[in-house]
Amino acid sequence: MILSRKTKEASKTALAMTIAYGVALSMDWDRPYWAGFAVAFVSIGTVGQSINRAALRMSGTVLAVAVSLTLIAWFAQDRWLFMVVLSLYLSLCAYMMAGPKRQYFWQVGGFVCVIIAFDAGPDPVQAFDTAVIRAQQTGLGILTYSLVALFLWPVNSRPAFNAATRDLAATQHQLFGAYAGLLTTDDGLETARELRAKETEQRARFGQLLDAAETDSVEIRETGPRWRRYQRLVIRFAETLERLRESFVEVRTMDLAHLLPNLDAFNALIEHRLSWVESVLGPEPPEAPPEHRPERRQQHRQEVFSSRPDADSVEQLSHFNRAAMTVINDNLRDLDRLTVELCEAVEAIQGDADVEPDARAGEGPARRMFLPDPDRMGYAIRYLTIMWVAFLGLIFVDGLPGGAGLVGMAGAIGIVLATAPQIPISMLYAPCALGIFLAGVLYIFVMPQLAGFAALGPMIFAVTFFFCYVFSEPRQMLGRAFGLALFVVIASISNEQTYSFLTVATTSLMFVLIFLVLALTVHFPISWRPERVFDRLLHRYFRSCRYLVSTVGRHADPLSTRRERWLDTFHLREVSTIPAKLAGWAPHLDTAALASAGEDTVQGMISGLQELATRIRMMRDATDQTWTDLLLDHLRDDVSSWQNGMADAFERLSVDPAAGDGKALRDQLDEFLVRLETRIRETLDGAGSSWSDEREAEHFYRLLGAYRAVSEALVAYAERTGSIDWVRLREGRF
Amino acid sequence: MGHVPHEFAIGGVYLPPMLIAAMFGTVATLVTARLLNRYRLSRYFSYPPLVFFCLLVIYTVFTGTFIIGA
Repeated sequence: MILSRKTKEASKTALAMTIAYGVALSMDWDRPYWAGFAVAFVSIGTVGQSINRAALRMSGTVLAVAVSLTLIAWFAQDRWLFMVVLSLYLSLCAYMMAGPKRQYFWQVGGFVCVIIAFDAGPDPVQAFDTAVIRAQQTGLGILTYSLVALFLWPVNSRPAFNAATRDLAATQHQLFGAYAGLLTTDDGLETARELRAKETEQRARFGQLLDAAETDSVEIRETGPRWRRYQRLVIRFAETLERLRESFVEVRTMDLAHLLPNLDAFNALIEHRLSWVESVLGPEPPEAPPEHRPERRQQHRQEVFSSRPDADSVEQLSHFNRAAMTVINDNLRDLDRLTVELCEAVEAIQGDADVEPDARAGEGPARRMFLPDPDRMGYAIRYLTIMWVAFLGLIFVDGLPGGAGLVGMAGAIGIVLATAPQIPISMLYAPCALGIFLAGVLYIFVMPQLAGFAALGPMIFAVTFFFCYVFSEPRQMLGRAFGLALFVVIASISNEQTYSFLTVATTSLMFVLIFLVLALTVHFPISWRPERVFDRLLHRYFRSCRYLVSTVGRHADPLSTRRERWLDTFHLREVSTIPAKLAGWAPHLDTAALASAGEDTVQGMISGLQELATRIRMMRDATDQTWTDLLLDHLRDDVSSWQNGMADAFERLSVDPAAGDGKALRDQLDEFLVRLETRIRETLDGAGSSWSDEREAEHFYRLLGAYRAVSEALVAYAERTGSIDWVRLREGRF
Repeated sequence: MGHVPHEFAIGGVYLPPMLIAAMFGTVATLVTARLLNRYRLSRYFSYPPLVFFCLLVIYTVFTGTFIIGA
């Protein structure tokens, strides 16, 4: 009989849970359900993923044990001081948990500390025993699951990783093809958008599986640095493709056949390289024919880039169109360089490279500054509010259902929901009710009939199997976690088993109270209603845009202060990350409020903001080089008024994101571009109509192109958002 | 002497009157909030979450006093 993957995974978790309980009960360890928790929460996907998660859970538990024992030792006599210091630690955990790395470590480090601290609170003498039992049971659960996962139907990450790598390479190849078509027409826009979404998803999956494969595959671990290099290049390739696509709009009306005479050859060359990458990463990598070798690639590149555009065609272009051509040429050059590096990276992975490329190449500049994230600070505040409400309830409400257990449970659930505020609390009601009902029925009617582990073991297996099988999809993770957690809590299996209906009733009421606290923190002290968050993010985005535009060039100034550089980096990070955050919130906006605009308009607006962010970064990169002296003298006032105009527009939008009048901004920009074009022509004519060298001209056009690109993106944003009913979107709602 | 709120017995399990009143109050508040949202009347409140809380208290007290306690 062939078992499905779902059945096998559910069986593994169920078996590990049964063994963990069996060992803990036979050793007569206190609170065996903590071992059950560990099994329930580390069992995911492949062996590598589970081991990584298990390592994070264990190290998080060790941190929590150390912190909780220290706090109990220092502040056992003063509960308020104890809670204040614990709050500082918990806010650090919540802040770090929302970060990009080791989220699960910080999550466990936070809530386990709460559990130990409040479990030992009424009886500090037992604190050490409680902490040791927690660590011991967690270790038991992790060890049991790891052994079961290794010996019973082991699922290695390698095949899934190989498939994810191939899928990503194929999608990036298709995406390039789709974007190349967009240069002349918008017909394939929808396909390109779908491919883009698919590529982003596959890139995230590739990253997750790379982490897992490094753990459970020797081959991947040995070539780890090369894979990391490939990962960085893939990210940069995607960003460059996006920049290239955004630069198409300004050149579409030009005579590209003359201005980019080798465009077809260039596209063919890139297609060829991407096909090569795809085939090398395929199941049967081909032998490298001579034309794919690096030295031959250089020759290809020279052939493609050696042809110059038709001089007459360039002469007829306006200065702004020349600027647009400079921008597109820069992007094409970047794409060329990156695809060569990608070929070298996959050859290095296959061990085909003649020369080992620098495995750290492609890394961005090292982060040297601490940049606080306002959203993550908000999550930490929400978590603290949850903890303080539960704590104050414990102190001041006599007979609070669950007592200290309520604080521990609020700590465990709160840290997950506080750092993922998009998850509506109502999503938890059904799994929670189902978990309480099933666990209650088993606890009251079934468990009293069982005698010995021979009868209890199969029941544990059956219940665990049921929850893992029914909630097997990754998106059902919460349902599975809640179901298993409630079963473990309500059944409270131990060697001195007692039965009381009050356990079920108290647990039910405890969850009602926890949900009430969670619902309160959706609105207080910071509102996490999607419409409010959306509005807040837009305000922050435009404030940062205003700052960056009004201080453009300052980051490259050697005389700028440390604070100015810090502010500059902070605002740049804000502008770069907020569009992705908005995209995360957009599906949760009230559909009734969006009725007139539709979700597509919101998605279009977010794409516009992404575009604007890319262009602001491009403008800053361009201003690393200063305006040429010649033009600086003559155009200083014009450039300054342009910059001020953009800063004013951003200022207005930062006060009210709906303040952009697309038509007025378009007229203003068109008028300004005509005026500036004339001024540049006059200036250059007056100076003898020539540049001292080609690089000087390129710098100038790059800057001009970057300024125009930001202005165009700003106008496009204002035009796109005209149809959104902002009043309706912002109005008060329950 | 006035009416005294009494416990509810369901299958031999006694539930406090306040719990029943709170359950009624919650359901009534959820229905009211849904209707106010549906007809865009919630925009006339400056802080709807506080209104929600007040409705919950009013409905619970009302149910406890006039229905369960009657």
